Amino acid sequence: MIGVAIFTFAIAHIIPGDPAAIQCGDKCGLIVDYTEDGEPITAYESNRIRLKMDDPVGVQFWRYVTDLAEGDWGDSLLYHRPVVDVIKDAAPITLEMSFLALFIAYPLGIILGIISAVRQDRMFDHVSRFFAIAFVSLPIFWFAMMLQLYLATGTEHGGICDPIFGTEGGCFPIYGRHDPSYTYPEDGFYSFYPAGGTGFHLVDSWFVTDEKLATMPEEWNSNWLLFKDTLVHLALPCAALGIASAGSLLRYMRASLLEVLNEDYVRTARAKGLSEFRVVVVHACRNALVPIVTILGFSIGGAIGGAVLTETVFAFNGMGRVAVTSLQYLDFVVIMGVTLITSVIFLLSNLIVDITYAIIDPRVRLE
Amino acid sequence: MRSWDDGKEEREESLRRLRESLSQSRNDLSRSWKIYKRSLLAILGLMMVLSVSLIAIFADDIAVEHPYRNLQDTEDKWSIDYEPRRVEPFSEECDWHEQKIVTNPNSPLFSETVVAESDDKVGDDNRYYRDTLSAITIIKIEDSQGYDLNSSLLSIDPDNSSILVLSPDLYSNTSLYAGVWVTYEFDNEAMHHWWLPDGYDVCIFGTNDQGQDLFSKVLYGARVSLKIGITVAVLTVVIGTIVGSISGYFGGRVDEVIMRICDIFFAIPGLILAMAFVAAMNQVTSLTTPVWLAVLLPILVIGSYSNSFLSSTVPKHGQTDSHVMSKLVEYRWWILLLPALVFIFGWSPSNLFGWPEIFELSESKIWRLTAVVAIIALSGVVILADKRFINNSSFEGGMERLKDSFDWTNPWRYLTFRTLAVFISLALLFNFSGTEGGDIVIIKDFDRLWKVQAALIFTGWPGYARLIRGQVLYVKEMTFVEAARSVGAPSSRIMFRHILPNAWAPLLVAFTLDIGGTILSASGLSFIGLGAEPGTAEWGILISESRRYFLDSPWLMLYPGLAIAVTVLGFNLLGDGIRDVVDPKNRR
Repeated sequence: MIGVAIFTFAIAHIIPGDPAAIQCGDKCGLIVDYTEDGEPITAYESNRIRLKMDDPVGVQFWRYVTDLAEGDWGDSLLYHRPVVDVIKDAAPITLEMSFLALFIAYPLGIILGIISAVRQDRMFDHVSRFFAIAFVSLPIFWFAMMLQLYLATGTEHGGICDPIFGTEGGCFPIYGRHDPSYTYPEDGFYSFYPAGGTGFHLVDSWFVTDEKLATMPEEWNSNWLLFKDTLVHLALPCAALGIASAGSLLRYMRASLLEVLNEDYVRTARAKGLSEFRVVVVHACRNALVPIVTILGFSIGGAIGGAVLTETVFAFNGMGRVAVTSLQYLDFVVIMGVTLITSVIFLLSNLIVDITYAIIDPRVRLE
Repeated sequence: MRSWDDGKEEREESLRRLRESLSQSRNDLSRSWKIYKRSLLAILGLMMVLSVSLIAIFADDIAVEHPYRNLQDTEDKWSIDYEPRRVEPFSEECDWHEQKIVTNPNSPLFSETVVAESDDKVGDDNRYYRDTLSAITIIKIEDSQGYDLNSSLLSIDPDNSSILVLSPDLYSNTSLYAGVWVTYEFDNEAMHHWWLPDGYDVCIFGTNDQGQDLFSKVLYGARVSLKIGITVAVLTVVIGTIVGSISGYFGGRVDEVIMRICDIFFAIPGLILAMAFVAAMNQVTSLTTPVWLAVLLPILVIGSYSNSFLSSTVPKHGQTDSHVMSKLVEYRWWILLLPALVFIFGWSPSNLFGWPEIFELSESKIWRLTAVVAIIALSGVVILADKRFINNSSFEGGMERLKDSFDWTNPWRYLTFRTLAVFISLALLFNFSGTEGGDIVIIKDFDRLWKVQAALIFTGWPGYARLIRGQVLYVKEMTFVEAARSVGAPSSRIMFRHILPNAWAPLLVAFTLDIGGTILSASGLSFIGLGAEPGTAEWGILISESRRYFLDSPWLMLYPGLAIAVTVLGFNLLGDGIRDVVDPKNRR
């Protein structure tokens, strides 16, 4: 954690980009103030003084770390808000998407992996393995856009949904988190979902009060409809994000299960006369799942990285989009914040993985 | 100078060994190939990789036109390879235009003359309008059923080549009420700002909003992507192998530190780290502190590494007092200290002596001069590590030794001179590179694709370091390593001759898979606008540019994406196939 803090700080400081100069733009030479001696102070110099950039690097770092510990992550130069607030708004969006994507990917990958290991070298195995590799090879952003094109548009743009399901303009909404008809009501979007909410709109949609719902348009006036709307909007991003994870999981699961199926205890279980289903699901799978759990920690990090691309395509204002925007405007305070928070999430998920490990594998608990 | 005949037996012996090992490896190769070709998917992957590589090599010959047509002032000067052999700015094949002419006499639009005009397009002011085109020749006329008509039915007005004149026959032929399709060649630059759908004549992937042929762009994109993929993969493997093997071999505190650094890298998602790195590098117009560190630290490391070696070669007291060189070596740390002091205290000594006034030097020039002196002095100290140089260091027979030192057959001597040449050229580079605000600019036009590569190397090496470390830890315990150590082989020899050759198998697999992964991440970076310049023939940027139009012209997005998918899939399948060969445990 401290290492990451040092690292992000170093990145922001080794780079020659000068936040003071970026902030004042072409008006850096403007004289804004005078010192006590009557010397003029330009906008650039006043920025430097305000950002305390003339202190030694060591002092700056110490200030950065203590501020971090106190929960003050600095102010964004781009959003004109504290970084903590920016991240607080953005993080749930990304997390909601990545978690849901992994929630789809894991069962899918594991179940298909089991089937393809059990039916080793049959047709199903070959086909599923090929598709697993193919899905891993797809560029996420391109796949997301293809999903948009074929599942979220009408026939006139080549959508395939309308003739099959009789929908209008595709099965899924093309982008955004909500239907635009209620996203920006007169009293503003954020007053609709209370500020004290979790930020996960799948959860928040169940806590919208009845008075609020009464003000809504006809087709969105129940909690279930709001929940459904959020879910439908999440479907395509999650599919795009989850499909690659599912592919790689299938391959890991298959390899791991094949290894386990050659073990002695599986043979013993078979010799006992247990049914094949019981052998595979109860005896083999439990052991084959152990390495899969390890991957979980890494795949959360990977999903957050991939979210950068899906959020760009689907216009979600999550952390990835915040990172991209702030990078374009060289708002390094935000980038440092986003990097820190992603590494915190990563470390937390690895902690959870370690705990899960202890639950699944009793040997770890003994050590 | 040694004559060529001197080492005849040695050469023959080494040739024999080479032949032996070659025949051995040929046997190994054919066996591996037998295993490899069992898998259909692996063969498919190999074919995909081969065809993409061939396309990249022969892109100049296959492509229909210059990938940067209409972009004369493209800023991407990444590689000279971008200069294709085809020099015509426009390909004639794509300059045809198809237009439907309504021949229904009842239509209010109908008249005897038809203006040759482009399809509807949106102008800068968001209004639809049509450009008139000056037609050159009429190529084909079809009726609405697709049957060819006599091309004399339509002619170009000789006075105004943007007007097509209908013949009275066509006018009176009411059976053609639905209209006819006219294909004509046009001569109008305005047309190049419009696009054609895919499957249109030679431009099989269509053209984009600039009228550029997408097919050519995708072909040239193979070149860029493969180059990025392979360079990055090779460099990450090299860095990762060095770091990982040091970590695994020496263990202990070194291992601990390196692995913690790797942990930091793992904790940040690779794409976000690469993004931050590229954005940071975009700010780099002048390289000062980082480059100084990058140049000087290795020199200092080499210097301190040679310390032990130098000490072993210094003659004992009273043994070779007359040797001047041994004195030099004995006091080498003082020699090292002097330039270091000069470097640390900057240009103060030169200011003291009043050099700037004498030689009319500017301040930044002094800085560079000081640096050059420091570097040359440092390299001199490094060269002093030459064992023979020290042993023969007397003034007697100096001329002969000087002659001897130019002996190219002596590899050690050759290496020393090459090192010296590298340092001198570095110094020259410092001296003559341009200045910007008094800073030293090493690389002008520090290009964006290089930044992508640097970023991907930067984020990629920890994975390899960890892989190699595990492998080295495994091999290190084997008996042959112990045997090598017991006969007193130095660490470097054990490392390079005993451990690494036995640890390469998973590395090869990871390398192949990583090429695909790198292509994916590079295109992802380009997609979010942190990779190649807009207008480059790179797959990621092609997709990102076509995002604006993807509902109406999906072909612009479809083909570059397919190209990425096929290339990455090829490398992944190839990697899997190689895994089957080199790692029998994982097979099936």
